[in-house]
Amino acid sequence: MGLLRRRCLTMLPAASNAVRSTVAVTLAVLLAGLVGGPGRPAAAAGPEGQVTWAVHITLAPTWFDPAETAGIITPFMVLYAMHDALVKPMPGKPMAPSLAESWTQSKDGLTYDFVLRKNVRFHNGDPMTAEDVKYSFERYRGASAALLKGKVARVEVLDPHRVRFTLKQAWPDFLAFYATPATGAAWIVPKKYVEQVGEEGFKKAPVGAGPYKFVSFKPGVELTLEAHEQYWRKVPAVKTLVLRTIPDESTRLAALKLGEVDVAYSVTGPLAEELKRSAGLTLAPTYFTFTTWLVFSEQSDPKSPWHDRRVRLAANLAIDRAGINNAVYLGLSKLSHSFIPQGMEYFWAPPPYVFDPRRAKQLLAEAGYPNGFDAGDLTGDTIYGVAIGEPVANYLQQVGIRLRLRPMERVAFFKEYGEKKLRGVIFSGSGAPGNAPTRLEQYAVTGRRLSRRGRALHRAGQRDEPAGAPADPLQDAAAHPREGDVRAGDRARLPQRGGPASRGPRAGSHRQPRVLGAVRRRAPEEEVT
Amino acid sequence: MKRYILKRVGFAGISLVLLSVTIFLLVRLTGDPTVLLVEPGASQADMEAIRQQFGLDRPIWVQYGHFVSSLVRGDLGHSFYYRTPVLELYLSRLPSSLMLAAAAMAFSLVIGIPTGIIAAVRVNQWWDSAGKVFALLGLSLPSFWVGLLLILFFSVYLGWLPSSGSGTAAHLVMPAFALGWYFAAAHMRLTRSSMLDVLGSEYVKLARLKGLPEALVIGKHAFKNALIPVLTLAGINLVIMVNVAVVVETVFAWPGIGRLLYEGIAFRDFPVVQATVILNGAMVVVVSLLVDILYAVIDPRIRLAR
Repeated sequence: MGLLRRRCLTMLPAASNAVRSTVAVTLAVLLAGLVGGPGRPAAAAGPEGQVTWAVHITLAPTWFDPAETAGIITPFMVLYAMHDALVKPMPGKPMAPSLAESWTQSKDGLTYDFVLRKNVRFHNGDPMTAEDVKYSFERYRGASAALLKGKVARVEVLDPHRVRFTLKQAWPDFLAFYATPATGAAWIVPKKYVEQVGEEGFKKAPVGAGPYKFVSFKPGVELTLEAHEQYWRKVPAVKTLVLRTIPDESTRLAALKLGEVDVAYSVTGPLAEELKRSAGLTLAPTYFTFTTWLVFSEQSDPKSPWHDRRVRLAANLAIDRAGINNAVYLGLSKLSHSFIPQGMEYFWAPPPYVFDPRRAKQLLAEAGYPNGFDAGDLTGDTIYGVAIGEPVANYLQQVGIRLRLRPMERVAFFKEYGEKKLRGVIFSGSGAPGNAPTRLEQYAVTGRRLSRRGRALHRAGQRDEPAGAPADPLQDAAAHPREGDVRAGDRARLPQRGGPASRGPRAGSHRQPRVLGAVRRRAPEEEVT
Repeated sequence: MKRYILKRVGFAGISLVLLSVTIFLLVRLTGDPTVLLVEPGASQADMEAIRQQFGLDRPIWVQYGHFVSSLVRGDLGHSFYYRTPVLELYLSRLPSSLMLAAAAMAFSLVIGIPTGIIAAVRVNQWWDSAGKVFALLGLSLPSFWVGLLLILFFSVYLGWLPSSGSGTAAHLVMPAFALGWYFAAAHMRLTRSSMLDVLGSEYVKLARLKGLPEALVIGKHAFKNALIPVLTLAGINLVIMVNVAVVVETVFAWPGIGRLLYEGIAFRDFPVVQATVILNGAMVVVVSLLVDILYAVIDPRIRLAR
């Protein structure tokens, strides 16, 4: 137990629960990749000890059920522990075979055949079969359920270990929606058990095929899980995993220092500095799918200064991203020059903007604004919009782009953002899982709820290829509008940075650095995969 | 008396109806909860599906009608966030809240009443000044700050108490202190002023003239009478403690109703907010009703005057 004690902290910017939650999930995923992976030998001595994980959010029973995945990444913190998917992102593999050993796509792009892994058992001992896969898909009612099901003509059980999805039309995005956390449709639940206990019963006593099985849940307090020794990938090293809700970050830090918890998420600012100074505790960053950026809402208006490409470029060059990273995120964040997270499939890295205020001023002068201009409001929500919005406004002010920071309550902000009522510059961000096409679908396609007028991109839903068209994923990737097109073409967005909340840092800590190696190999996160 | 009680019960019922209407409308002024239930960039179709699932797409009077009919059947709805029955959630948190409130109340009475008595007996002396400072600090220091200081001192520096959570008596000490100090200060002030009133009364003067020992005058004659308003306030405060412990519960990760309400507000979880406010309101109304009836039983002038 003592050797298993491990204390980690996540350092994040001031972020909403939703935003912070995103970190939590990805932490598990990423660390899994650092230390674990398919084919690793099982822990020789079997599971032992307990690891307590302090989380900043309140766990909800709806997260125990993959059918209700809401399109945010938070529930995957629990899903990765309790359940397993046919295909899911694993470190280094955006679509790693899991419960499906392999899959094939027909030449006409209409059918996908999945070959299931044999000898996989749910926590209650039932074997996982193609019937469970079909049932889980049909039962799925979470994010993008209508879109996904609308594309699928039928799901057929070919034999107990083979299942076929037939699409109505070739749809290259099928795997992007089915086999990534964009939805939870590929996460498999036991049909027989769900039918036996009912929907409410399943939330109270969920059964999955993941590395940890459900033991108990006290709403608002903690979720207790226990190692599933028949887990196909490997036997978990940690016997008991407790996810404990501690909403206040100072209290989380105190609990970590006292050894009451072994891992903690989301400690920010001065508390993160304090953590860095604490003997035996170590900060280690984690990176997840959250990026923040600026939206020039008036760029399509010829009367607006933002209509001029030189002005938008000046704004890009005026912001010292590295400076913000050092000041706000202790230098642990990764800088991003795209609103698509770097780890996402089909990510294209655009050339970075170098901080050059002199050149920015020159560009403004060339555009007819030698003394700068009043740019109106910089509107963001009160959480991450302020943490980064303030330094951004200050940097822009220095070259003459005068913005008033206007923080709004989160619901009001997204309501006005969605209704296209916000003017000036908007501080936007997203932690949505998926891949580059799904992120583009949400924020770059004209006509979408949060997209602005600009260069029209094809809606993913309209990119249905006729039957017989090539549907190779790589060809499809090439066919996707690259994010660079958005960036260089219409500059509708100013890729701000991959904030620490976004490409954010996470901290890990170890009271017993001498046993770090052993701890690392036996840490719980390797099992949460 | 019967008429008086019926009248008070009627008023209590009207209060609860008004409370239900008010909270139903007010939560809906706070914005669309679907924004917080999905990723910001979620499609319109996904948002519509969630609105439909929770009945938010229906006209507001239809929603209210459904809310009232469910309420009458004892169904407080399903939480948007937890997706479980709200009543179940509320009842799972209630014991923790009651335990915390009881401990905080015990602390506030044990500290507040003796301090108030000493301050009244030693009026304008050192004890009185110390009591005033204690009360001033208790009433003015924010409980979250007190809570964090307690954690820092007793958990981090001394290592005597667990920093957060629930389950043992040790977990209860710091949250009870952080919550109870404010109320201890209030009880101390009321005890002091009540004692000063009683100590200046004719019957206390008579007792002293009779030569009774001062301890007996204070303990038997003054204190007992001065205690009545304090205990009345304490009864109401006990209910208030259950409802206002949001900050303390958050700092100490205490799984009570206050945090449930806070989460409900943060996530725009309408059913949770509605149910918590109504049930907490019912608690206040019922206690007030009982106090009114008790007063009327004790003092007939009250029921006759009304």
